[in-house]
Amino acid sequence: MKNTLKRRNFIKLTVSASGALIAGVHLQSCMPKKPLAEVHQFSPLIKIDTDGWISLIAKNPEIGQGVKTALPMILAEELGANWNKVEVVQADYDTIYDEQWAGGSYAIILNWDLMRTAGAMVRQVLIEAASKKMNLPVEEFITKNSKVFHTKSNKTLPFEELIAEASQIPLPEEVEFKPTDSFEIVGKNIPQVDLDKLVSGGAEFAIDIKLPEMVYATVLKNPVFEGGVSSYDDADARLVNGVIDIIELNNAAYGGRLLGPNSPNFVNGVAVIANSTWASFKGAKKLKVVWDNSNSRKENTTELFERFHAQLPNTSIERKDGDIAKAKRSAASSFEAIYEVPFLAHATMEPMNCTVDFRDDLCEVWAPTQNPEALQEGLIKLFGLKPEQIKIHLPRIGGAFGRRYYVDYAMDTAILSKKIGKPVKLTWTREEDIRHDWYRPGSVQKISASLDKEGMVTGWQHILANASRKTSLGREGGPAGTEIDEYDFPAGLVPNLQLEYGHVLSDVPLGQWRAVAASANAFPVHCFLDELAFLNKMDSIDYFLKFLGPKRMVPVVGDYEFDVERLITVVEKVRQMSGWDTPLPKGQGRGFAARKGAGSFIAEVVTVRVDENEKTKILRVDAVVDCGIVVNPSGAKAQVEGGILEGLCAALYGEITIKDGAAEQSNFHDYKWMRMGEVPGIHIEFIKNELPPRGLGEPPLPPAIPALANAIYAATGKRIRKLPIVK
Amino acid sequence: MPSYTLTVNSVKKTVSVDADTPLLWVLRDELGLTGTKYGCGKGLCGACTVQYKGNAVRSCTLTVDSVLEGNITTIEGLSEGQNHPVQQAWMELDVPQCGYCQSGQIISAATLLSKNPNPTEEEINAGMAGNICRCGTYTRIREAVQLAASKLDE
Ligand code: FES
Ligand code: FES
Repeated sequence: MKNTLKRRNFIKLTVSASGALIAGVHLQSCMPKKPLAEVHQFSPLIKIDTDGWISLIAKNPEIGQGVKTALPMILAEELGANWNKVEVVQADYDTIYDEQWAGGSYAIILNWDLMRTAGAMVRQVLIEAASKKMNLPVEEFITKNSKVFHTKSNKTLPFEELIAEASQIPLPEEVEFKPTDSFEIVGKNIPQVDLDKLVSGGAEFAIDIKLPEMVYATVLKNPVFEGGVSSYDDADARLVNGVIDIIELNNAAYGGRLLGPNSPNFVNGVAVIANSTWASFKGAKKLKVVWDNSNSRKENTTELFERFHAQLPNTSIERKDGDIAKAKRSAASSFEAIYEVPFLAHATMEPMNCTVDFRDDLCEVWAPTQNPEALQEGLIKLFGLKPEQIKIHLPRIGGAFGRRYYVDYAMDTAILSKKIGKPVKLTWTREEDIRHDWYRPGSVQKISASLDKEGMVTGWQHILANASRKTSLGREGGPAGTEIDEYDFPAGLVPNLQLEYGHVLSDVPLGQWRAVAASANAFPVHCFLDELAFLNKMDSIDYFLKFLGPKRMVPVVGDYEFDVERLITVVEKVRQMSGWDTPLPKGQGRGFAARKGAGSFIAEVVTVRVDENEKTKILRVDAVVDCGIVVNPSGAKAQVEGGILEGLCAALYGEITIKDGAAEQSNFHDYKWMRMGEVPGIHIEFIKNELPPRGLGEPPLPPAIPALANAIYAATGKRIRKLPIVK
Repeated sequence: MPSYTLTVNSVKKTVSVDADTPLLWVLRDELGLTGTKYGCGKGLCGACTVQYKGNAVRSCTLTVDSVLEGNITTIEGLSEGQNHPVQQAWMELDVPQCGYCQSGQIISAATLLSKNPNPTEEEINAGMAGNICRCGTYTRIREAVQLAASKLDE
């Protein structure tokens, strides 16, 4: 497979002072649709050292999604590197790497061609160098194990011996990818980089950073969203051994909201600076703060959901296909149901924290962030800095799930470090972390269907009402976002279809949560389809397959279409794997859901047992995934396992409730997470094909929720239309 | 501030901290042993698990003055060069995702196996119940504990 680059200046080869060959890749010119930046910058993705070791740059932040292993694997594959002599180096944030955010299951989607092109380009240069040196035609060479290999004579030349020649080679304009069936690294179970450090306490997370002269801090924020500080008495706090200073943080002093859509006030509170984390926590407990809640709507969950319900008839239309009114008039019957999904916190295992050294107009940041771009932008806006005055390091991150898309905690830290002129490590307590999240929006959703004589859908209307994470300036108004998108399932499959959004204003800070809108919207859609199957006295999978219709490409939006055959394949396979058609003892049931997401297709079956006290035990989960080529099966499987468990756990327990304008939960006793004894066996299979790899961080999560709810129905005859299942 | 002498990974260490300072923060901020993690501060999540006198304990809930009598084993001191069977099993099965909970998980597993070298699945569930993994590595942890047990058998 050839990838022709019209741009000659795609890579630059240089030899470093120590004699290593460094391949700088011009990332933007690998992205065909992107306009070229004015300044040409080359990111040094590949370094071949004179001792044969190869350093590969991991450009995106590692949040547990395995990207620090997967992206370098792709580079190494095309290069023909010996993985055992590869060192992966985490990049700092730098515009030379182009996009470095982590989210939306995009890492592999955006970087597959890019990493292949970069690796292949350097491979070709090395082959050409070898061909010159040995005076043999380039066609007779391949690379393998960090060597150029002459296939006819079995002669080899290690990469490191080709550095001088390679640096003189004119750069190729055309690259040829390796055939996928010759892959030696991609597609193998490669243990993640850092594994040895992760099992021995040696992996450095952001929260572990220690700098000379560093002081420790924590913040006590007004638990009420939109609340501020009226006054505070810090006499007792200052008496705590080790407390150095108390500093009030006031959002208004920094120009109010800065951080994009629905940005909460990010600094209203009182910070305690101390010589240890514990002293700062202790100091914070001794603070007596009078909060100013005059700006709060003093919302509570019941009232919020009443407003969501009230908004159902008052919507904007996000997608309109055919005519649902007409479908209704000619329908043999109709059915509708209303569902509720709660607000959710992220509760990443590593609480929000950041370390900043902001001295002499230089701001150096060690941030556990998914979104270094936003962090840089925030620092520029907040302090009027120039990009070159900001240095952002990307340490390993203890879970993100969308929470670290927002950079509020880093802003706090930068303000404090600048104020006291020392490096500061700010650590939020778990309580602050849960009370000051950017929550997954709760919503009320109504689906109505018109059905023909056979009970199949002729008209589909899905209305979602809530406060949107996309609404800019959430409480003041501004243009409304939407939490239901024009491409949402089953768009494209039903001739008469309407997706509508009812927008409500709220104080609750809202944000991306793993799988974003699908985390909330898959539950109603796939439970509704299950209800239709039962109404129709049909097997749920049979009904779903009939609903999908024949194998074909289904146009969704613009040039985005999806291949129904791929969805059918995963469904049929999971049916078989889970023993779907075999009977279960009384009190047990199986539930099913299948979806597409981030370009991948996934079908899941959950099996449960429900006892007389309505206690649900999840017995097993089966999942079949088609995400194209699986780059690292071990990491990919981990993403599916994690996504499924996160979905199941959210469905069972996940709920943030609001009272008097604040979150009621604060730690793992009231924001429950699944524990070992509740975890079922999970059986996962990947469909083998040669299609380009697609996203996997998010797609496994959404179907787990309706699959569980449907399983409980199958076991008990009780429909679940409101989450969480366990109150 | 009073000073305390603790035995951490078989080495005596003296620190000057308030009596109510949790062991967790002594390890992390005073001794630089950052493998032990802060997750909840309330004994709810297990991220801070260390061994004290051979038992798995939550270092966020034990004050420094209560752990002066016996050896404290942290993840850094569990073995030389990751050669504890639990660490080996963890690496073989590529258990961690984000990795943040894993020090606590490994210490809990090592403690469980030191008391019960052949745990049933139920016993593993019970022994590991104090440790939350937000990323969902549970199924691999369960497998890794079984694998480590089989390594101990050899
Ligand atoms: S930090 Fe100690 S149990 Fe969570
Ligand atoms: S691996 Fe991330 S919390 Fe367990």
